[in-house]
Amino acid sequence: MARVERYRRPAGVPGSTLTWLARLWLALLWPVLFAAPAEAANDEVLTVLSWGGAYERAQRAALFEPYTASTGRRVEVAQYDGGLAGLRRAVEAGEVPWDVIDMTRSEAMAACEEGLLRPLSPALLAPAPDGTPAEQDFLPGSFGRCAITHTIFATVVAYRRDAFPGKRPTTIADLFDQQQFPGPRALQRTPAVNLEWALLSYRVPREELYGLLSTRRGLNLALERLGELDEIHWWEAGDTPPRLLAEGRVVMASGYNGRFFDAMVNRGVPIEILWDGQVQEHETWAIPRGSPYPEAARDFIRFATTTERLAELSRRIPYGPARRSAAVQVTTHPDSGVDMRLHIPTHPLNAERALAKDEAWYARTLGRINDYFGDWLATREGE
Amino acid sequence: MLALRALRAYTLRMDTSPALIGPGRGPLAVVRFLGLVFLGAIIGAIAALFAVGFVTAVLELNELLLISPRSRMMFDHAGALMAITVAVPALGGLVVGLLHLAIPERRPHAPADVIAAVQTRRGRLPARAGGLSALSALISLGSGASVGQYGPLVHLGATLGSLGARLLRLGRSDDNIAIACGVAAAIATAFNAPLAGIVFAHEVVLRHYALRAFAPVAAAALVGYVIATNVLERGALFHVADTAVPMPWEFAVFLVIGGLGALVAGAYMRAILGVTRLAGTLPLAPPLRPALAGALLGLTALWVPDILGMGQETLRFATIAGAFGSGELLLVLGLKIAATALCLGMGFSGGVFSPALVIGTLFGALCGSLVGQLSGAPQETFVFYAVCGMVAVTAPVIGAPLTTLLIVFELTGSYALTTAALASVTLASPIAAQLFGRSLFDIQLETRGLDLSAGRGRAVLRSTPVIEHLTRECVTLLPETPVSEAVTVLGQARHGEAYLVDAGGRYRGCVTLADLEAAREARGGPQAVAEVTAAQRPLLRPDTSLWDAMARLQDVTGEALPVVDAAAQDAFLGVVFEASIARAYLRHSDEMRREEHGTG
Repeated sequence: MARVERYRRPAGVPGSTLTWLARLWLALLWPVLFAAPAEAANDEVLTVLSWGGAYERAQRAALFEPYTASTGRRVEVAQYDGGLAGLRRAVEAGEVPWDVIDMTRSEAMAACEEGLLRPLSPALLAPAPDGTPAEQDFLPGSFGRCAITHTIFATVVAYRRDAFPGKRPTTIADLFDQQQFPGPRALQRTPAVNLEWALLSYRVPREELYGLLSTRRGLNLALERLGELDEIHWWEAGDTPPRLLAEGRVVMASGYNGRFFDAMVNRGVPIEILWDGQVQEHETWAIPRGSPYPEAARDFIRFATTTERLAELSRRIPYGPARRSAAVQVTTHPDSGVDMRLHIPTHPLNAERALAKDEAWYARTLGRINDYFGDWLATREGE
Repeated sequence: MLALRALRAYTLRMDTSPALIGPGRGPLAVVRFLGLVFLGAIIGAIAALFAVGFVTAVLELNELLLISPRSRMMFDHAGALMAITVAVPALGGLVVGLLHLAIPERRPHAPADVIAAVQTRRGRLPARAGGLSALSALISLGSGASVGQYGPLVHLGATLGSLGARLLRLGRSDDNIAIACGVAAAIATAFNAPLAGIVFAHEVVLRHYALRAFAPVAAAALVGYVIATNVLERGALFHVADTAVPMPWEFAVFLVIGGLGALVAGAYMRAILGVTRLAGTLPLAPPLRPALAGALLGLTALWVPDILGMGQETLRFATIAGAFGSGELLLVLGLKIAATALCLGMGFSGGVFSPALVIGTLFGALCGSLVGQLSGAPQETFVFYAVCGMVAVTAPVIGAPLTTLLIVFELTGSYALTTAALASVTLASPIAAQLFGRSLFDIQLETRGLDLSAGRGRAVLRSTPVIEHLTRECVTLLPETPVSEAVTVLGQARHGEAYLVDAGGRYRGCVTLADLEAAREARGGPQAVAEVTAAQRPLLRPDTSLWDAMARLQDVTGEALPVVDAAAQDAFLGVVFEASIARAYLRHSDEMRREEHGTG
């Protein structure tokens, strides 16, 4: 139906049964009638907006190149650092250069509410190799109105292996235990994740975390715990925490698990990831409103979320595939031979005490939480 | 006027009395028993599913109506939020008040009604009133009233059990077991604690231990637990640092907390009962009372939001050292007691357990922080104080020390914590029972005229009206009947006494054959039976209980006691033979003995 609508929709004519039947008929015939022009469309270039760096390298090898090889359609990649400002401008101007965007789920939710994205149905997804329908194969919460989760990344704590002789941190509460684990910490200069970990250190159940953080009392308890740390290096760019750890300027740091993996495996930095309390977030594919080739974009998403492609991506960067069938197919890193299963956040051993970020909560409260956190930070730094 | 068939009828009833038929043994009894266990499991599953649905619906309503802290935080209009905080409980109260108009007693049914039904062996919980009560509890909890959810869950489970027993046309005894099954499943599901569910059903509802009831109840609790673990994802009520073990002297403090907790529990129960009494004297239509309570609650919550709703967040913070200052603890403790008393007393529907959990934990936290300030020790064992306070207040309120201990044990798996709780409950329950009563439910029932303090035996006899054994098969005489004729009539009927009833049907007294004979012999004596000295005979009223009739029999030698309706100008209704009273007494005792000691 989508093809018919795009090329043949008679504007303003209410759909009678007859025209509806005609459309159906046309929809059935379309692939037969226009098979040749569809081939020709492969001259069209699919433009993907993604995050650059090691992540883009992995996507090129696991997704973009195989996609071009199988369809003949070239893929061009543009980089961004998240945020909706660029997309908002492009949609307003009516000149959207991208067909597919790699977004965090919380941003995709916000963009969808603003009407910046096209609705996306999970019906387009391929079933698992064993025939399991996509609805059952994907992890819960993978399907938004406008976005489909492909991988799950985590914010975790990493620590220097040589910092605490004879001991190692085992719970997220150890991040705040400077008696047993002395030394400076590096934390992201945001309330998110820090507040969660600080409150978790009081041993509250994960299920109640956001309810408790919604009270003044809970926020104060969390900030009190953060305030107990003597020395905090606040980071903003994702590559800072592995660097601070590598240089030995901090002994524990929060950061993205992929970056820590990169430092650990590819650069031999003596660090270890503490999986307890890891905060998982969904990374999704979305199609912007006004994209040049939405049909090709859907085709690409179907291709890039097959079990095989997701498993291949996770072999190159340790982000958890959103499909259960893909998670069990992840093997070793193609270059280093490292068993990637042990490094992805959704592996059962790592995910045992994982925390799902309440993105709906953040979508509504981020402004106020940021202000509150900013005030606290200003008082702390003023002292 | 004559009743000659009296004796024959009487003999017949003696033959058909079921009292002496013993319990069955053998394969058929085993099959029947297994059927009862299976029924328990089915009731458990249904009650558990309803409980899960109820709990989920309350949480959803709290999100929707901006009661839960999470939804309040996510709602970004301070002014509108203030208006909603007052309006939601007030409107919720209005709806609840209107719903209660459809219940015959004009009040929600609660666990006390379950206890009454089982303790008087009546069973048969009304389904419509039960459903309406559950609905009004859902609205109360959903709109943020400071009431508990476990009471409504228990009553809902019990109603479902009773309904099941009725659908299968089971007897009263099995009806009571089915009720206990629903109760056990509700507790097992809500707390994720099957043992606590089983013990609660025995300790609070059945109040005796019988294998016949145990197996179905255990099956129900088990099914409830399995359903809960697979459907409900909830955080455990407490977390304990593995390393912390209290010092020996701290156990003495836990005992003291128990003693003081009994007083807090007493204050809590008195407050609820006091507001209930006061509400009755308010010049305000009953449906408006909960609305007023809701508005007051909302206004107070603008100042102290901790008192709104079930208070899960408050409960959690109270187990964390340093989350509250001592002054704050005292303030929230006092306001939570007041808010709960206000809500329950003014007619919101809901339980007393969840608020008691919050109140007790706040009280324990208060003790813990005071001890910490006095001893200067690090607060590693703070959660022990919180839990001790919690059991010290909740156990007396629901009259279930073992259940509260088991809840602590099953939720924490910590032996150290359970031992500390045991120290606390050791003093709390007996002190509160001495000062106030076995539980809030028992006190409520006593005000409604059902005294359970002497156990089930008396309760059953007290709630069985003697009128069930009324017969008119006795000799009644008009007062003006000549003495000689009266003697003849009595002789023919082979009765020893006659009752004088005038033409208007009013009772005029009782004469014995011996008195009549004496009067006939005496020269110049009375000519009509009315003039014969009447035998002193205590009267029964239509609502006199078997227990009271038994008590009156102690001073009587005679055949029967007349039943007279004082409300209808002393109308004579008939008599109850002494032997019927004794027989009924024996039958009830025997049934109870069989229920409590039989195996199948």
